[in-house]
Amino acid sequence: MLSRAAIGRQAHGAARRSWQQQTRGLAEPASGSFQYQTGEANGVKFASRDIPGPVASLAIVAKAGTRFEPIPGLAEGLDRIAFKNTERRTTLRIQRESELLGSVLQSYHSRENVVVGAKFFQDDLPYFVELLAEVATMTKYQPHIFHEEIYPMMSLHQKSYLANTTEMAINSAHGLAFHRGLGVPLFPASSTPMKKYLDADSLSEYAASAYSQPNFALVANGVDNGELSKWVGEMFTDVPAQPAYQIKTEQSKYYGGEERIAHASGNSLVIAFPGSSSPTGPFYKPEVAVLAALLGGQSSIKWSPGFSLLANATQSAPHMFIDTKSSIYSDAGLLTITMAGSASDIKNNAGKVVEALKSVAQGVDKETFTKAKALAKFKELQYGQETQAAIELTGAGLVHGGKAYQIDEVAKSVDGVTAEKVQQIAKEALENKASVSAVGDLYMLPYAEEIGLKV
Amino acid sequence: MSQPTLSNFIIKRPWLKRWMVPLSKWYKEAAGYRKLGLRADDLIPEESEEMQLALKRLSPKEAYDRVYRMRRAFQDYQYLSPIIKEIEQERSEREDLESMVIKKPTIKSKLPDIKSKVPDSVKSH
Repeated sequence: MLSRAAIGRQAHGAARRSWQQQTRGLAEPASGSFQYQTGEANGVKFASRDIPGPVASLAIVAKAGTRFEPIPGLAEGLDRIAFKNTERRTTLRIQRESELLGSVLQSYHSRENVVVGAKFFQDDLPYFVELLAEVATMTKYQPHIFHEEIYPMMSLHQKSYLANTTEMAINSAHGLAFHRGLGVPLFPASSTPMKKYLDADSLSEYAASAYSQPNFALVANGVDNGELSKWVGEMFTDVPAQPAYQIKTEQSKYYGGEERIAHASGNSLVIAFPGSSSPTGPFYKPEVAVLAALLGGQSSIKWSPGFSLLANATQSAPHMFIDTKSSIYSDAGLLTITMAGSASDIKNNAGKVVEALKSVAQGVDKETFTKAKALAKFKELQYGQETQAAIELTGAGLVHGGKAYQIDEVAKSVDGVTAEKVQQIAKEALENKASVSAVGDLYMLPYAEEIGLKV
Repeated sequence: MSQPTLSNFIIKRPWLKRWMVPLSKWYKEAAGYRKLGLRADDLIPEESEEMQLALKRLSPKEAYDRVYRMRRAFQDYQYLSPIIKEIEQERSEREDLESMVIKKPTIKSKLPDIKSKVPDSVKSH
């Protein structure tokens, strides 16, 4: 039978207290802008920005992505064991309570971060601060949970990943570009991590490092900084000051190369070049974002290929998916051109993609460049405005370098990009080694040499 | 020290043997040491000079087997019962949460109703 102690006294009392103190109006942001205010309590770093609206979001962003895992599978395991049994309450309880309060629990991992958070009504802030504190410090790493809940889900996800040639190609391109670290695939393609590396002991050790004071930050949207500071100081009391073992961070080095993977359903070709780091990192080059918008591929206007060079170059293959993306990480980045569709389409158009890049290296006309710059700025600002991306970027910025992601500064730096800089980047990309990854019907898909790239 | 025994006397007389052998079997069953995987000689008290010397003279395999049999016989603790209790607690918690009644606070009362039948711990605010 349930006892009072099982619910966590503070949660019950805190929830009651917060409900009774419904004082904030819905449309009063304290800071009035999109800037993040940072702070620290009990050694735990946090950042918040007060945006109007009834829904707030709060997340732990931990420096524990696939880049930092000592053995494969730990980053995924960490995000899958979030919100499972803790010392104070069971998985079922956590789910039911957060459903009753009206909220969404989220946990995912990326190449550099594990993000564990929730979106909830503003008044429930103390409950979720306590829940995240429990997840970080009091999760029970029980072997039977792995066998019953975690490994089956990882196997299912692995099967869906193996059916997605684009994901496989992107992970392969990262692997070619960065080898270890950023090159570790986001999801395993085999069950080796589950059988050999991921288990209760290794994961609890990894969590003790990931959820230690220097390695994670709390990011909140839609809450008042003073309130957050108070609750963090009250709930996050047991965070270890030192990680269980030091998570190594080496400067990512770009290598390059070519990989071809046979696959029976679907075809993808990914061409990748060294890109820009995140705005809070050391190698920030806003011209890469402009180059990505210039090359483009997907139009923001329906029924028209738009202005982007690749969309115009591949008009003969309307059913092929093509897109350029600038992926940013804390100290490096990757500019990826992804093509997915039928093998013959890719074969015929891969050469045109490289031609388009070569034409940018020669020069780009003013009007197209202006459009590209405007689109890059719009995308950056929109990305930073949305809570999800901003949470991860801000948290990563705080953990890696101590700076929060401020979108006003980013907008200014995009403004300062000139056509010459973009041309320079394109020239460098073609002169150095590219990372080319082909997944699908290998008879049809071209080699990098055949389309004019150096590997 | 070896026990005094009438076994030779009994075995030589078939009429006695016919009666005593079933009796001895019943006695051995009732003693129960076979059910723990022990042999009769494992029960002989070790605290004598002769026994100590006899143990030293055992072959390594026999000595190892003797220790193995004794360790195996002496472990009797509940290894499954605590897990079964946990699973039962999980099931009953699920039942409780499924049959919970949610009382939302009305405009009149600022505090949740304490006198309701649903225990405080399963009520949400």
